[in-house]
Amino acid sequence: MEVTLLVQAADESFAILEKARVRAVDLMNTAAKLTSETRWMEEKKVRAIFRGAQETRAGLQNFAVTFVILFLFWALLSGKYDAFHLSLGVICCGIVAYLGHDLLFYNVRAGDMRVIAGRFLIYIPWLFYQIVLSNFHVARLVLSPKLPIDPKLMRYKTKLESDTSMVTLANSITLTPGTITIAIENGEFVVHALSRKVADDLNAGDMEDRIAHIFMEADHIYIQDVLDVARIFAALR
Amino acid sequence: MIHRGEDVIIRTIARMLIPFIQLYALYVIMHGHYSPGGGFQGGVILGASLVLLLLTYGYHDARSRISEKIMIIFSSLGVLIYAGIGFLCLLLLGNFLDYSMLSRILHVDAAHARSLGILGVEIGVGFAVMAVMVSIFLDISTGGVLPGDEEEKEKQVPVSEV
Repeated sequence: MEVTLLVQAADESFAILEKARVRAVDLMNTAAKLTSETRWMEEKKVRAIFRGAQETRAGLQNFAVTFVILFLFWALLSGKYDAFHLSLGVICCGIVAYLGHDLLFYNVRAGDMRVIAGRFLIYIPWLFYQIVLSNFHVARLVLSPKLPIDPKLMRYKTKLESDTSMVTLANSITLTPGTITIAIENGEFVVHALSRKVADDLNAGDMEDRIAHIFMEADHIYIQDVLDVARIFAALR
Repeated sequence: MIHRGEDVIIRTIARMLIPFIQLYALYVIMHGHYSPGGGFQGGVILGASLVLLLLTYGYHDARSRISEKIMIIFSSLGVLIYAGIGFLCLLLLGNFLDYSMLSRILHVDAAHARSLGILGVEIGVGFAVMAVMVSIFLDISTGGVLPGDEEEKEKQVPVSEV
């Protein structure tokens, strides 16, 4: 009799302890969820503010840069530099830049444009050098009596993300003698290579790395991200 | 129906070229009285740039830039500018499209007034040609029924039945 009572008492106390534990866990879970939710919402708000500012800035930047490029094109075409024709040019460039500011530069982040332009200008001489090198290679192939060509189609998986960088790579491949881009299918290049050497050169991925560097893609860091983060840290401090 | 092109290269290159084609078209229109070209040629180039946009991006994506309503307004506006300048010359006691009469309201000499009048007429012709080109292209490629029209027609059916 006494033993059963004792067991009952022990059971009850265990049950109470268990209940308390469950309640404590529930409470802690709710608290954690609440904090994470509020934090997530705050983060989302901050991100939305930044993205809105980024979009406006990118739009303005695209408009300004498109306008300048188009006006240079107009000056080249027109050849009449009196006030009347220049003002006509300003109006026309304004209309075209306003209607097409997201056509010439699509999805370019504000602040990155200058870096991209600079790196692209450095890339062009390198591309010319490559073109000259493979020109000699193809000339040797063509002039040698045995004609040691090994033409093949190869699929080339790329790590590039945006349309612009993929098109830059495709056109660079086509410009280089010996290789021609036939199509881009879901981020996979179909390339025709004339010999083993040019195919190996392409597979080494030097050109792709350089283009990823220009457009700050794959494992490269966005400059604007670093600047934004630096500002947030400064504000927090 | 025009669908969005699948080729990334063509789409991107077309996207980058379209502003330059449009600016070249405007150059041809604006310099029509000095060099070869003019309203019709410039309008055709401008229309061709919009057709290129439609072909590469499809009607659904290009709709915000080129809608049939805007094209109708532009084609009428072009004819209005042309005829308006012509009738303005009539009102100023000259012949139809006698630009030298415009010198009375523009406060410039007759030669300059002729030049400005021709420029205005060229702009009108350019607008009209561009808009008519694009709407002919839209009509041919869609069989006269644009996706937006179908929705509107479906909405209107119950009203007519009642």
